[in-house]
Amino acid sequence: MNCTRRNFLIGGSSTLFLSGFYPKISFANTQKKNLIIISLRGGMDGLTAVPVIGDKRLKKLRKQLILENTLKLNSDFALHPKLKIFHELWEKNKAAFVHATNIPYTGRSHFDGQNLMETGAHTPYKEKTGWLGRGLLASDILGKGLAISLPMPLLLRGVPQNNNFFPSPDFVETKLIDSIYNEFSGEHNKLIKSTLGTIKKRPLSMQVATNSYDRNKLAREAAKQLHDPNGPRVAVFELDGFDTHTAQGGADGAHAEQLEELNNIVKILYKNLGSSFDNTLILTLTEFGRTIKQNGGYGTEHGYGSAILMAGGLLKKSQVYTDWPGLKKKDLFEGRDLNSTIDARAVYNSAMSVCFNKDPEFLKREVFWDDDLPDLTQELFKV
Amino acid sequence: MALNFYRRVGFGLSPNETQPSKPLNWALNQLNSVPNFLWPGSTPTEKEIRNKLAEWVYGDRESLRKKYKNDQKAYEKAKDELRIKTGESFFELNEHAIRHYQTKNSSQPVFERFWLFWGNHFAISEKDFLPEFSTGPYQREIIRPNMTKTFQDMVQSVTTSWCMIHHLDNSQSVGPNSKSKQWNPRGTINENHARELLELHTVSPSAGYTQEDVIQLAYIMTGWSHKWSNKKLETGDVWFDQDRHQTGEKQVLGVIYKNDAKRELPKVIHDLATHPVCIKFVSTKLCRHFITDEPTEEMVRPVIDVWNKYDGNLIEIQKEVVRQAYKYKDTTFKFQVPEVWLMQLSKIFDLNIPLLPSRMNYDFKTKPSHSQRRLSWWLREIGHSPYRAKQPNGWSDFEVDWVSPELLLRRLWFSSNILPKMIKAKNYSHDFTLECLKKNFNDYDRMSLLIKNLNSDTKLKEESDMSRKYGIICNLPGVLKA
Repeated sequence: MNCTRRNFLIGGSSTLFLSGFYPKISFANTQKKNLIIISLRGGMDGLTAVPVIGDKRLKKLRKQLILENTLKLNSDFALHPKLKIFHELWEKNKAAFVHATNIPYTGRSHFDGQNLMETGAHTPYKEKTGWLGRGLLASDILGKGLAISLPMPLLLRGVPQNNNFFPSPDFVETKLIDSIYNEFSGEHNKLIKSTLGTIKKRPLSMQVATNSYDRNKLAREAAKQLHDPNGPRVAVFELDGFDTHTAQGGADGAHAEQLEELNNIVKILYKNLGSSFDNTLILTLTEFGRTIKQNGGYGTEHGYGSAILMAGGLLKKSQVYTDWPGLKKKDLFEGRDLNSTIDARAVYNSAMSVCFNKDPEFLKREVFWDDDLPDLTQELFKV
Repeated sequence: MALNFYRRVGFGLSPNETQPSKPLNWALNQLNSVPNFLWPGSTPTEKEIRNKLAEWVYGDRESLRKKYKNDQKAYEKAKDELRIKTGESFFELNEHAIRHYQTKNSSQPVFERFWLFWGNHFAISEKDFLPEFSTGPYQREIIRPNMTKTFQDMVQSVTTSWCMIHHLDNSQSVGPNSKSKQWNPRGTINENHARELLELHTVSPSAGYTQEDVIQLAYIMTGWSHKWSNKKLETGDVWFDQDRHQTGEKQVLGVIYKNDAKRELPKVIHDLATHPVCIKFVSTKLCRHFITDEPTEEMVRPVIDVWNKYDGNLIEIQKEVVRQAYKYKDTTFKFQVPEVWLMQLSKIFDLNIPLLPSRMNYDFKTKPSHSQRRLSWWLREIGHSPYRAKQPNGWSDFEVDWVSPELLLRRLWFSSNILPKMIKAKNYSHDFTLECLKKNFNDYDRMSLLIKNLNSDTKLKEESDMSRKYGIICNLPGVLKA
């Protein structure tokens, strides 16, 4: 056992002191950078996605959920075998992980947790807008969001005129719009008219009908839009099914299937973003991790600390960034969950700062009520 | 011309209806009583459906998860079977049918519009298995009978309903000084329900309540919970559990409530529901729903006055809203949310929606059929599955929240690809379309001009003509708004 707390702390809290001297000039960069958030609903198990191989306790507590053929990252961490693209990108310094992290929510309700992972707040249902929407608004990036879901996810709310993308089940004759467009006149019809105008201006790739639940296709189209220099700068994907109370499995099984879906999306994005991948950050988001110990149904219950999976050319280097809390009973949250030692919102705030060319301190004030979120831009990203 | 009024406070006029001679009286007379449900098909009670929910929750959590712990595939299969057996995959479809049938055929459509409004004001969001089992019967049995009583009565019923208690986690709320702390030392209050009772259901944030007010109200609410049992789990009836109740004096918005066990809640609800800020908040919301996104003081004031004069009597309040909606019918334009828009089209063109009651029968043995599922599928596709609001604040009444490229495209898709297939065979003629338009829309002349070339009599062109014709007329400004 060589995993003890703070072994992997890179940079550490000294960045807190540095933030005041942040070179503001670097935010003048106007190159379009993309931020992609993939919501993993149901509670993604960070210890299944990025297992700690340096701690034998994990195996002992999860006899029926043993992972074989994991992809080694370093002497302490590995990757789930289904996350092949992350491993491939890791070798190219284009994948990284933040471990033992979560939003500051210790309840165990999916609904409250998912609400908070999207609003970024402390009290469920109190805020009606999402942190990403507020971040876009604060950065004056209007009309540049792309939600791959219907209706608009809470995460993106708060900024007007985001573009939803979830193609209709059948072909819609966009010619129809030409027939009605000029009928909209007067102040009270302005909004609908301009929105119809947006549809008319859409590239052909967004005018197709498809099985809207074909995620691979949605990911391909999203990548095309993001690659376009005048296209959206932000995209949000939704994946669910991480709530594996039963038959969670190890290398195969319920959690593995969801991770494979995630892997597919990232693979498609990587392929189709082309050169834009170097100006892109992909981050996962979940409401909580899962209990360390398996339950009677060979699954896991709702837990606390999880991991953030990251990919993209804007990452500083391949690394597992963590302030590892350990797996001894006394180190666990309420004696049962991996603890969270990094507020996940610090990672998201720093990512927005990099992608939106805004000072992290400014965003923190505008988006996260000036909560105590350290600036991680120097540690995690290329600035 | 006042034709938009029939959609503004209702669902328009059906082909066999004649235009009322006094539109305002027509509307006002519909609010005096609670109309019966007309759906001839199965309409199970809230309690019956809750028993099915118990079977589902217990079956999955207590039995299947344990039985198939080593075999995910077998578990998924058994779970799918349980969905069918308990009606998990059926009840919501049936509720959508009941709801649609009611709004379409009711002799009091104005009442039905208000029913939709209150169901959304006291929204149950998409959580646990509430949309699948409970939200429909909650709206039928809790919201509806209160619509001829007072607002205070409605808040009382809603707050202690099984559905709302479950939705906002009040069963998990335990008073820190309560008796049950002895055997549940980690138990604490859950502020969720208290906060929403203040913020969404009654006084709104403009009352200026503090976090301490939320906590104090949560204390008053401790003990109102589901009766837990091993077999029924959380689906037992709501009761007041003194052992979980926080004892002692409480203070909410400056009013002191003496330690009085279960009698504290009705007192505080009365005070909240008759609070001037609550009256203003809900009156404004009503005007926003029926008149315009930004109602003016002069629209809202008469509603507030009536509210005060009749001590929260909902019949009188709703009547005043209708009067204001009538008064401003020519000068305001109210965006119609997708579900209401669909209901209006269904009524105006007498579409084959919902499915015939006889075909909506369910035997709890096989998966619901494609045609049984389709209304719910359409609602989801146009972005407005009524029992699946994402948040406890329900569906928005603001146009800006509904006008996105995707949501407009979905309406074009529905009206050009689906709607023509739902037209009854006897109503295929162009004249029928024109009749319906003339009866319901002020700008009939312009509409008929726009579709005059789409009345071909050749069989080959007929289908694409129908598709374009309805695609155009259903998405014109005067149809998206009323």
